[in-house]
Amino acid sequence: MLIRPELQALRSDDTPQRQAQAQLHRLVTQWRASGGGAGIEPALASYARGAALTQLPPLARLFVPGHAAASRLARDLIDRFAAALNAAPWGQVPLPAKLDEVTATIVLAATGNAALVLQATDGAALRRRPAAQTASFSPGETHDHVLAGSAQARLAELHGEAPQVVRLVETRCDLAAGQVFTRDGARQALLLDAAPTLLVTLKLQRRPATGSVTREFRLEDGTLAHQAAGNARDSRFELAAALLGRMGRNDAAPLLAAMAEEQGGQSLRWQSLKECLGLDTAEGFAVLGRIAERPSDPLAAPAQALRAQLLTTYPQLAGAQPCPA
Amino acid sequence: MNLPKIDISALPDLDTVTGVFGSLAQHAQVPSSDDTIIIMMVFVYDFLTGH
Repeated sequence: MLIRPELQALRSDDTPQRQAQAQLHRLVTQWRASGGGAGIEPALASYARGAALTQLPPLARLFVPGHAAASRLARDLIDRFAAALNAAPWGQVPLPAKLDEVTATIVLAATGNAALVLQATDGAALRRRPAAQTASFSPGETHDHVLAGSAQARLAELHGEAPQVVRLVETRCDLAAGQVFTRDGARQALLLDAAPTLLVTLKLQRRPATGSVTREFRLEDGTLAHQAAGNARDSRFELAAALLGRMGRNDAAPLLAAMAEEQGGQSLRWQSLKECLGLDTAEGFAVLGRIAERPSDPLAAPAQALRAQLLTTYPQLAGAQPCPA
Repeated sequence: MNLPKIDISALPDLDTVTGVFGSLAQHAQVPSSDDTIIIMMVFVYDFLTGH
């Protein structure tokens, strides 16, 4: 194995590495305090809380078509990083970054459920990848400002809402430098088909904090290929509910009952209901009854079916039903 | 009242099962599926670094 002398030296003394890291941290701090990133994070926090983009000048100007502020922001930061890494190549950029065959992504700022991201898509790598079979719809608002390059793309729009199948309408939507696209992620997905060279975009994204679901439909026929929680909180709570159930934590039953009745994701609510039933039959059966009797609740029908199933399996539960008023 | 202990392994799932956050059927083949990836990056990074 070849180990370069610079790296070999770091094994006995990692000071240069720590110094490089400290320098990169300073660089980001400066960029946020007085460089191109000044004012971005407070504006992003307001945006995450629901403010309109137009009310937040530090962010809004980044998404005015062709406005130089967006390119300036990206170039300013990348130039700083490039210079620092050129001087100390073993430093790691202290911002979330991801590199795969096709895209390089760096999160410039993130707060709450909003993120400002710089993304580069490699046209040559994109050509090697098979065409998309599905389109994924994640509730949330996305603004894309194309900073450099161009691409052939399709905007897939979801029509004719039904749980398992939708009508997808695709329209050609070519991207060119200076353009800004705003998408409603619940209904619109952007599919990149080809890019002659490198496509660089600045993205601003805001997602719902709870209850959202990401759905993936087959482009061919609009059938549902997969559905997943659209936010980390719901999955985290679902896992916590399952764990409380496996631990036999009866004291958690009232909490699980409350979660089952919240206006959150249906999957999380259903999981909480089941675990509540397993931990405390009376508490669980009571909340099941309340959900079943609430016609506007999307879980009313499955709750009625489950109540009927339980009454068949455990006839003694009939005595636990509330008396008709 | 003496109520039975319910076996939750016998309780049904909803008609459409919902996967955990970040799971995708065709992730590797969808170059533009960045909407989920970005928010997941933010989450995973926070988790790993404790920021």
